[in-house]
Amino acid sequence: MGVTIVREYTEKVQPPRSVYLKWPFGHPLGEPGNVKQQRAVVLEAFKALYTITTPGEIVDLPFKWRRHDYNSYEEPGPFVPRS
Amino acid sequence: MSLTNRFKNRLIAKVITRYPSIAQRFISAYEPWESGEAVPWSPPQKPLSACKLALVTTSGVHHTAQEPFDMQDSDGDPTFRMIDGATIANDYKITHDYYDHSDAEKDLNIILPLDRLRELQQEGVIDQLAETHYSFMGHIDGRHIATLIGQTAKQVVEKLKQDQVDVVLLTPA
Repeated sequence: MGVTIVREYTEKVQPPRSVYLKWPFGHPLGEPGNVKQQRAVVLEAFKALYTITTPGEIVDLPFKWRRHDYNSYEEPGPFVPRS
Repeated sequence: MSLTNRFKNRLIAKVITRYPSIAQRFISAYEPWESGEAVPWSPPQKPLSACKLALVTTSGVHHTAQEPFDMQDSDGDPTFRMIDGATIANDYKITHDYYDHSDAEKDLNIILPLDRLRELQQEGVIDQLAETHYSFMGHIDGRHIATLIGQTAKQVVEKLKQDQVDVVLLTPA
């Protein structure tokens, strides 16, 4: 699965599964030193791996650039195949 | 490509990183290559806690001793570098004139989240983190698209299979 920061290109190239963040170039996992933010993006990508059922689907993540409180983020999991 | 043009590209990269509205103009002006083929699809077969994971990035990061990506060619560079996950954090350079990587130079995890993945491995969220990861420089255009699709991307896939990697996380820049 992939992280994308340019939704328009991902819609055309169509990798199997993506999570989209409206964030600046060079920051697919967020800001330097922001461990909670980086962890949240990785976990949301994992979640997308197991929940996306339509090839090429893009999940829009709700994290606002520099305006999201990750202290209240509820971590997803466990990550298991659909039965 | 002249030094003047490389300087211009780096300047544009800084501007579009800082000002998303300007970045949007560049995004809209470029048409990425579309295969027109069906989207490849392979449903996960086992829990993530039983999977081995590797990273593939297009951020242009590489070890300092490796040959830098070609910034002279206006069509970019379709080659890749093999990244040693154990040493990259203390031995890396980013060769990519088309985005501002000053923040990635402060914390590599924003383009290659190896520390986060090690933590998740220790917690049992993933079973194994591969020792080797793969890096491209994301500006790949013109004649190099065929090389990427026909050669270098396939080489990386083969190496991932040999390493028995189950899951790949792709990170752009």
